[in-house]
Amino acid sequence: MKYLFIDSATTNLVVAIINNGKISYIYNNNDGHDTSSKMMPVLSEAFDKASLKPKDIDKIFVVNGPGSFTGIRVGLTVAKTMAYSLDIPIVPISSLEVMASRSAGTALINARRGYVFAGTYDNDLNNVYPDSYVLMNDSLTKPYISYDNFDFETVKPNIDVLKIVIKHENDEAVNPHTINPNYLKLTEAEEKLKKHDRESE
Amino acid sequence: MYILAIESSCDETSVSIIKDGCEEVSTVILSQMNTHANYGGVVPEIASRMHVENITLVIDDALRKANMKMDDIDAIAVTYGPGLIGSLLVGLMAAKTLAFIYNKPLIPVHHIAGHIYANNLVKRLEFPLIALVVSGGHTELIYMKEDYSFEKLGGTLDDAVGEAYDKVARVIDVPYPGGPLVDKLAFEGENTYDLPLPLNDDSYNFSFSGLKSAVINLAHNEKQRGHEIIKENMACSFQDRVVEILVKKTMKALKDYGVKNLIVAGGVAANKGLRNGLTEACEEAHVNLIIPEMKYCTDNAAMIGAAGYYAYKRGDIADLDLNSKAVTELK
Repeated sequence: MKYLFIDSATTNLVVAIINNGKISYIYNNNDGHDTSSKMMPVLSEAFDKASLKPKDIDKIFVVNGPGSFTGIRVGLTVAKTMAYSLDIPIVPISSLEVMASRSAGTALINARRGYVFAGTYDNDLNNVYPDSYVLMNDSLTKPYISYDNFDFETVKPNIDVLKIVIKHENDEAVNPHTINPNYLKLTEAEEKLKKHDRESE
Repeated sequence: MYILAIESSCDETSVSIIKDGCEEVSTVILSQMNTHANYGGVVPEIASRMHVENITLVIDDALRKANMKMDDIDAIAVTYGPGLIGSLLVGLMAAKTLAFIYNKPLIPVHHIAGHIYANNLVKRLEFPLIALVVSGGHTELIYMKEDYSFEKLGGTLDDAVGEAYDKVARVIDVPYPGGPLVDKLAFEGENTYDLPLPLNDDSYNFSFSGLKSAVINLAHNEKQRGHEIIKENMACSFQDRVVEILVKKTMKALKDYGVKNLIVAGGVAANKGLRNGLTEACEEAHVNLIIPEMKYCTDNAAMIGAAGYYAYKRGDIADLDLNSKAVTELK
């Protein structure tokens, strides 16, 4: 089986092609805010190096959040457009699970103003503290796994794409038209409107 | 040549299939206007979220309507800017993905070139021409000596004309989207409020912030005196001044450049006051006036597909690292 993995929800852009249980290409780099221009050339290189064509892919694994709103959309748009047009099954993956894929702990993404996107995973990638948008607090299980430094022991994510893909290999594919971002957070405008509605009730 | 075009620069997700830059095979437009109306204007993050939810559905719908498959498409055109960066990115990534997997040329189209070429779907453009581009984000006069050659003669120094309409709408309590409603009210009122003619000079530039401030101050003073503002009359007085200056500078450009073709483009091209004003002035000056059909005035991918054809002929083909630009000059 041939799999494509895409994750652009965090500061690291990850693109991988897995061919019959082996990684035949992986790109995992901090491209800052340049994901939108990096993504396609990387994808093109991935297929070249793996000597495959997009239509050869049997399943697409795409990270749909949480993380950078724009980043999520960049990767997801590519993945859903490809899944839709080539009729390839597509499976959503959590960015926090990806970050925690090599070592158990709580994956954290800075969500500003003291908030974080947090999810705790064990060694079998079970989501023991469900992915959430919460105020950073001491009750989150250590170690922290993050690209940011939350404490002195914060572990930098070390991604095991193969482990994630094997874990989710038999997940039911979702409709490419309805696979949508998992932002875990409303937009500020929506929050304000909701608050206003509650107060006027 | 069949071009599949994608436009997502603001709050409309649109995909179109255009043959040879002039024949519309299919167009789908999914407007988010009703959602943004809850917030009194377009919320960029909500717009981006809705684009990503709808993009493949709209592509699929456009292909179905055309009874075509991706293999029948010769090239992909996409709006790369200007616009809301998050919104632009969704259309751009979808376009790049299609261009990559089907190995088709990727044509980057400037949003304003799209608005200008919307007219090509009505009637083949005749050159040389002057284009008056008026929308929520633009007020520009452009000289074109031939296809896909753009020389900017002037533009707004502050607010775009559509922006001024929206702000005036707020002052006189007209709900979003204010522009079309102010236009409608203007026809029900009379020009009774004394407002200035903005940037009435020899340049091709525009300025609408002074006129907008004049409306705000006048409304404020009337309220202080306990007078009620007559909305219809304020709309009419404002619109008369806007149309007057737009017509004056456009006619001056036509005369200075010895051009006999005028096209109007952008959302404000739907404004009846402006249409009437330009029609009258062009008849008098024996200028050939082309105004797009109402359906081509708002944002749509058909115009991107039309412009894309001529961009392609000029040799505009982008690499896969093409990025969106929130602000970019038409070249």
